[in-house]
Amino acid sequence: MVSPKGDKTMNDMRLIERAVDMNDIKISARNVQVYYGATHAIKDVNVDIADKTVTAFIGPSGCGKSTFLRSLNRMNDTIDICRVEGDILIDGQDIYNPNIDPVQLRAKVGMVFQKPNPFPKSIYDNVAYGPKIHGLAKNKAELDEIVEKSLRRGAIWDEVKDRLNAPGTGLSGGQQQRLCIARAVATEPEILLMDEPCSALDPIATAQVEELIDELRSQYSVVIVTHSMQQAARVSQKTAFFHLGNLVEYGETGKIFTNPEDPRTESYISGRIG
Amino acid sequence: MTDMTSGSLGKTNTDLIRAGLARRNRNQLFLQGFGMAAIAFAFLMLAILVGSLVLSGYKAFTQTHISVDVFIDPEEISVERLPRGGFEEVLQASLVSRFPDVTERAEQRSLRGIFSNGAQFLLRDMVVADNSLIGQTVRITVPVSDPYDQVNKGLIDRETPNENRRVKDNELAWFDALIAEGAISSPINWALLTNADSRFPELAGLKGALVGSFWALLICFLIAFPLGIGAAVYLEEFAPKNKISDLIEVNINNLAAVPSVVFGLLALAVFIGTFGMPRSAPIVGGMTLALMTMPTIIIATRAALKAVPPSIREAALGVGASKQQVVFGHVVPLAMPGILTGTIIGLAQALGETAPLLLIGMNAFITSAASSPFDSATALPTQIFIWADSPERGFVSRTSAAILVLLTFLITMNAVAIYLRSKFERKW
Repeated sequence: MVSPKGDKTMNDMRLIERAVDMNDIKISARNVQVYYGATHAIKDVNVDIADKTVTAFIGPSGCGKSTFLRSLNRMNDTIDICRVEGDILIDGQDIYNPNIDPVQLRAKVGMVFQKPNPFPKSIYDNVAYGPKIHGLAKNKAELDEIVEKSLRRGAIWDEVKDRLNAPGTGLSGGQQQRLCIARAVATEPEILLMDEPCSALDPIATAQVEELIDELRSQYSVVIVTHSMQQAARVSQKTAFFHLGNLVEYGETGKIFTNPEDPRTESYISGRIG
Repeated sequence: MTDMTSGSLGKTNTDLIRAGLARRNRNQLFLQGFGMAAIAFAFLMLAILVGSLVLSGYKAFTQTHISVDVFIDPEEISVERLPRGGFEEVLQASLVSRFPDVTERAEQRSLRGIFSNGAQFLLRDMVVADNSLIGQTVRITVPVSDPYDQVNKGLIDRETPNENRRVKDNELAWFDALIAEGAISSPINWALLTNADSRFPELAGLKGALVGSFWALLICFLIAFPLGIGAAVYLEEFAPKNKISDLIEVNINNLAAVPSVVFGLLALAVFIGTFGMPRSAPIVGGMTLALMTMPTIIIATRAALKAVPPSIREAALGVGASKQQVVFGHVVPLAMPGILTGTIIGLAQALGETAPLLLIGMNAFITSAASSPFDSATALPTQIFIWADSPERGFVSRTSAAILVLLTFLITMNAVAIYLRSKFERKW
């Protein structure tokens, strides 16, 4: 169980988390198929994603990892030709059940996108938007509190507390991405989906966001799609390897990177495919 | 491999490229020259257009006036019969007293012709406003009639033989005498903007047309803007993409290309024929122009909505905004500069549109400004049409002046559109 990477405390933490994992499955996907028109993008994926864990989806471009991520909060609904089959259960509830409103689902399952995409509004309004539309704050004081708490969780409060009315688009790329994370956590989601959140960031901003992801793990189930295997190894406890729409291998991050079972995983990790 | 390094004639690739380079550069120079020539030609044509308009129109921006002392004779004018007048006689008397050697009645009457036909009404309005003027001598400054205006502006050739000339030798002599004593002045012709239409060019103004165009554009905006945006937002954001929405899209693009006169015929048949709405009214004009402007607004709005980056929609959806909140909270506000630009350009087109207004009778001769969209009115382009058709010499320069006024409005509207676009344009 000793990972070659990471220090002693990390391993200890992981052991503790794993104990929780066993009983606490947050997302459960069964026989999930996703089609774009005639293209079969996700083939028969079964996966259980644990609470309070960072789960990384890795795989070569076009393998379907982003597609699968976006089906977890029904963002694929916005694409006309996209069709999802199978069951995706969050807390035991089928999210594709007609009774489930995607709006409510997305309040519970927050999302951070590849490119930082703050609204062209003030920093304050960016974070306050979600709580406002969901009616989470009764008055301005409460809203202020939510905004501060979210920006603190996004690890950006100290940098922006003096200019909350400045436009969010005026921040640097890394700050924008942390602002987007703050915006995503402002609605108190239980799951945070991140679609290559660091691909547009420089190494320093990436390190800041990764650190933040590690902190977020204490409260959320974080699912992160990444192209960087180093990143997956650094931030995640569980890793799923996708290839050509199939979930090839899913397990402990340490095990996937050191001792993969499937030859395809090994080829990808050692750089032979991808 | 040998082909890569040397051609079949022993030339290297570098030589081949160099040989072709001269021709490629020549082609580029030719294209650049052609483009510059095209732009120069366009500028020349624009300069000729505006230049000729200004040359023939600038004279309409002044109006020759005459200042005379008028004795408001109580024998001719009394409070009881004010509306009936006697003002013509009073005006005539003022000039007859200035030229005592003119004794023949016919000559005296032609002396009176120096005054604009509207002068008597101006004088009457003064007396109606202040009855105490009766019995006094007042100095009034009123427009001269069109022929003398033309003389003063040098538009009547004094070398023309007397019998062929509009203003005869004796009339010229009177007028020159008046000029010599400083009774003739040429102030700025505000009447061009503050008077409604008139049969007499010296009194004719654009107020009726401006007010008519204002009402028509207001109606057009009130109808086309909300409907256009509504249709565009639905088609772009909510409508399922299928054969029917494709068909609708194609037909909207077709509608934008339909000749405007067809909309005029439609309005004549439907609004006036079937619904019995008033002829010549800006309400009908506005509705007709709205039919024409709506496709433009829809197309501009859809383009503006498409230009809003998908990342903003995803961001809003991602925090749990509903479709409607995404569209009206984020996408439409971000698209607004583009929408407004398209709308203003559509309205500018509508402002210059003549054909449909002719068909619904907005080219009537109307001497007062409309006080509501239901009154009869003309619009700027139809007023130009009417004036261009009028035989009086004075309308020649006034037509050009009216075109300049119309162009001023169009340029202003387009400038506002450009300003809005550059001010609110966002860099993503």
